[in-house]
Amino acid sequence: MRYFNLFSDILITKGASRILISDLQRNVSELHSLELHELIEELKTSAIEEVLGFYDNESKEIAQEYLDFLLEKEYGFITSGNWDHNFPPLSYDFHDYNIISDIFIELEDISVLNKIKNAIINLKIKHIVIYCSKDLSFDDFYEIDNHFKDSAIESIEIFSSFNTNVNEAFFQNLNLKTARIHSLVFYNCQKAPFEVKDIFRFTLNFSDQDLKISCCGKVDLKYFSTNLTKVLEAVNHNSCLHKKIGIDRNGNIKNCPAMPQSFGNIKETTLEEALHHPDFKKYWNLTKDQIEGCKDCEFRHVCTDCRAYTEQTHINKSGLDTSKPLKCGYSPYTNEWEEWSTNPLKQKAIKEYGMSFITELFRQTN
Amino acid sequence: MILILSKNQETTTNEVIKWLLAMEKKFIRVHEDEFFEIKTKEKRVYIESKRNCFFIDEITSVWYRRGGLKFKRFKYDHPSVDIHMNEHQHWLEDYIIKTIESKKHINKQSTSHVNKLWILEQAKKADLDVPEYFLAEHTNDVILNKTITKPITGNITINGFRDYADSIMYTSVIEEKEPNDFFISFFQEKIEKDFEIRSFYLDGKIYSTAIISQNDEQTKIDFRKYNLEKPNRNVRYNLPKDVEEKTRQLMRSLDINCGSIDFIKSGDKYYFLEVNTVGQFLGVSTVCNYALEKEIADYL
Ligand code: SF4
Ligand code: SF4
Repeated sequence: MRYFNLFSDILITKGASRILISDLQRNVSELHSLELHELIEELKTSAIEEVLGFYDNESKEIAQEYLDFLLEKEYGFITSGNWDHNFPPLSYDFHDYNIISDIFIELEDISVLNKIKNAIINLKIKHIVIYCSKDLSFDDFYEIDNHFKDSAIESIEIFSSFNTNVNEAFFQNLNLKTARIHSLVFYNCQKAPFEVKDIFRFTLNFSDQDLKISCCGKVDLKYFSTNLTKVLEAVNHNSCLHKKIGIDRNGNIKNCPAMPQSFGNIKETTLEEALHHPDFKKYWNLTKDQIEGCKDCEFRHVCTDCRAYTEQTHINKSGLDTSKPLKCGYSPYTNEWEEWSTNPLKQKAIKEYGMSFITELFRQTN
Repeated sequence: MILILSKNQETTTNEVIKWLLAMEKKFIRVHEDEFFEIKTKEKRVYIESKRNCFFIDEITSVWYRRGGLKFKRFKYDHPSVDIHMNEHQHWLEDYIIKTIESKKHINKQSTSHVNKLWILEQAKKADLDVPEYFLAEHTNDVILNKTITKPITGNITINGFRDYADSIMYTSVIEEKEPNDFFISFFQEKIEKDFEIRSFYLDGKIYSTAIISQNDEQTKIDFRKYNLEKPNRNVRYNLPKDVEEKTRQLMRSLDINCGSIDFIKSGDKYYFLEVNTVGQFLGVSTVCNYALEKEIADYL
């Protein structure tokens, strides 16, 4: 008898009506039917010949095709006599030494960085995202980068409003003088000032949209990533807020600038103190398995969560908001993606967040 | 205080250090280009370089990763005095190294350079399966297409060779006889493999990874030749208990408590290939989620 062994780095996430097969070594995911899932499950407890024997002639052919497919994708291998029990399952434990890995700052006044710079360095934060509602000058960009020259910071991502001083020479200079800036986005830009080629150390984007903090948290296929570390984090923790800290435009320390609860203001509270607030980490371990809708979704291990903008329909026993992210238009039950902002069921929450303009905007552009 | 001996900017060391920092364990990192002077203060011995200064009795554990402790030697004009002082300094240095090696450690300066030929003999003594091997200056005894050759050196690249990819001496199968004699070289029976296994060994614990490449012609002989389009599959693996036990015996006999060990699985047999004490293991550690850098930090 022959036996099918699924490789331990293949993760199968079962949704309400489909499965997602994630190849954690090759960093790709594919959608498949529940039928294939059934076959894979049967192959775990019975020999190939036995499994094929369960089916009538017609279905047998399909089952054989599925099996060929699994082998062709190298999702598994065949042994004779028995399964090869020397291949143990993968451990899904998430190991991470960071205290805080990400900081998301809504910046109005660049001098705010002076206040929190030491805390960012002490906490050995790795990634900074800055959203600035104004336009930043060359000196501002330079200063931001220079603040962290002796720190553990690996990347700085900046969203700034566009101004016409920004030209190609500006970026050439920035490319020479900065080391950690990793991505720049200029919004409110009607026309890109030059054709962006891939010559800088950082990525550069110009957008004609008027980006706001409330634009964060969109759920879309294009943001999904099959990456072992990210998947392990999502299996164990909240895929957006785990090890994140945020500062809003008024200096309030939060889980992210768009979250409602403040854990103190940088004027009188340090980031370290805020971290010790009993509620600071309350969302860190809320996984998608506990979130309405998401728990039945095949994308739950590759999708990022949003706790700031939700459908506001469910609160769990510990008072955590376990509603589905507001900006997800996917239904795991029908497998259809729809525009979230015009969904009638979401209008109440959209109004409460003061985001009706997004609904309007979408209507106008369509 | 943990003492780490390593190269500058060595990735594995950097990763372990991040864990040590998170665990709030104190450490001293010594780089390969540091030279120490031996000194005393109130009867306690300490050593000092441009970057570091520490008492020997402060050190509680040692990770020997790369390089090693090096000392400044003083010269003396009078030849006989110089000979004497040279020996004097030698024994002082030897004392420091021995004292440090007697603490809790991961590998030692004195056993870090392994002799591949000697290890094969020890592996046989530990009753591991070892593919037949011999040394020769000619290919007379070579069975074509069934014999491989590979370097016996630790470093398998030649510096400054045309380009890097060409400078690596991979394991290769011998396909034709060589008419002339050449420098004495290592030959070994080629094993038809199901797949390779790389095991990370730390103080008796073994973390194995199967490196599967059977569908892949390009990687059939040596997995270091990566086929990037379709990477090999590296997945967790458990060696049979008896093979693990023999491996422990081997490592104990070599006095090495940390290293990577390569095997080939062929049918029911597990052929031992080599031990590497300084290799990179983070790649396999990450894909199998073994978190070995954390294990090392825990151990220290
Ligand atoms: S919680 Fe939502 S708004 Fe906040 S950072 Fe995450 S995705 Fe963005
Ligand atoms: S329902 Fe939407 S937000 Fe939830 S996991 Fe699926 S795609 Fe992501």
